Amino acid sequence: MRCEKVRLKIDAYLSGELSPQDCSVLEEHLRACDGCRRAATIARRLIVLGQTAPTPPVPEGFAQRVQTLARQRTARHVPAAASWSIVAWWRMVSMPMRAAAAAVLVIGLGTGALIGWNTWQAPAAPPTQAVSQVDPLASYSLDYLTDAPDGSLAQSYLALVSSAQEGK
Amino acid sequence: MLAVAKGDLDAYDQIVLRHQKLAWGIAYRFLGDRHEAEDVAQEAFLRILDAAGRYKPTAAFPTYLSRIVIRLCLDHACKKRPVPTDNLPKVQEGDPSAADQVAMQDRDQSIRAALDSLPPAQRMAVVLRYFEGFDCRSVASAMETTVKAVERLLARARETLQPLLAKLSEE
Repeated sequence: MRCEKVRLKIDAYLSGELSPQDCSVLEEHLRACDGCRRAATIARRLIVLGQTAPTPPVPEGFAQRVQTLARQRTARHVPAAASWSIVAWWRMVSMPMRAAAAAVLVIGLGTGALIGWNTWQAPAAPPTQAVSQVDPLASYSLDYLTDAPDGSLAQSYLALVSSAQEGK
Repeated sequence: MLAVAKGDLDAYDQIVLRHQKLAWGIAYRFLGDRHEAEDVAQEAFLRILDAAGRYKPTAAFPTYLSRIVIRLCLDHACKKRPVPTDNLPKVQEGDPSAADQVAMQDRDQSIRAALDSLPPAQRMAVVLRYFEGFDCRSVASAMETTVKAVERLLARARETLQPLLAKLSEE
């Protein structure tokens, strides 16, 4: 084990967090290396220092002051069951959720606006023609006793027949 | 905490009584000032109350509380460099242990000065590891970082604190 790694692992070694295998490798290194042994000594002395340097006691009345403030704060809050507001929800969610909600809103509004624009811009369809109520047989003038109207199929037929007979 | 989330303030009172020493200890060792430490510890407990509805027991409660205290301490350090203050009671003349008390005061002032010389992250790692007795994994969890990062912080802090130890061993 190199010195750099040993010095990083000293605290884990002293607090018993290393595996037995790593412990024995580290101890072997410490036996051979003065610098790392000094570093381990410093760490041990810091542990002792921390244990023997007393921390002043918690200030008197600290817990009571916190509890009083907690009750004041709770009395100001609206009960959770009373109402749910979008503002409260917005304040509660994390930043990624806010970004996602904003993106969904923008995309939804944008899509709706685009569809509306396209609909407004499309040309008006031509009016559909009324279905003719005229008898189709009459329009073809198939009644041979009456003159066929100009341009009708009957007239065309009669002309054809006439020319055929004249050709004979 | 689940009881606190349902509005049980008696449960909250128990939490404060049980864990006030931890919150105070971390804040005081890091900041070095009684009043600032009390403000930070108090704020940490009030934030726990505010967040009770969102609490999820993914870590032990002391770790959860430590994280909040640490965040507040580091924010405080960013805004203001702590000034070491003498927080020990004055020594009375004629006190048979006056000499010992003076020696203790000097020692504590040396420790305070040494801690203040460390960058905030190293100082917090030292406070948690050597003064609060956290193991490396617990320090990493409380500081919301990796074990490797904690090892590096402690290794650098030990180099800086070496003169303090040399001075204390002379005394």
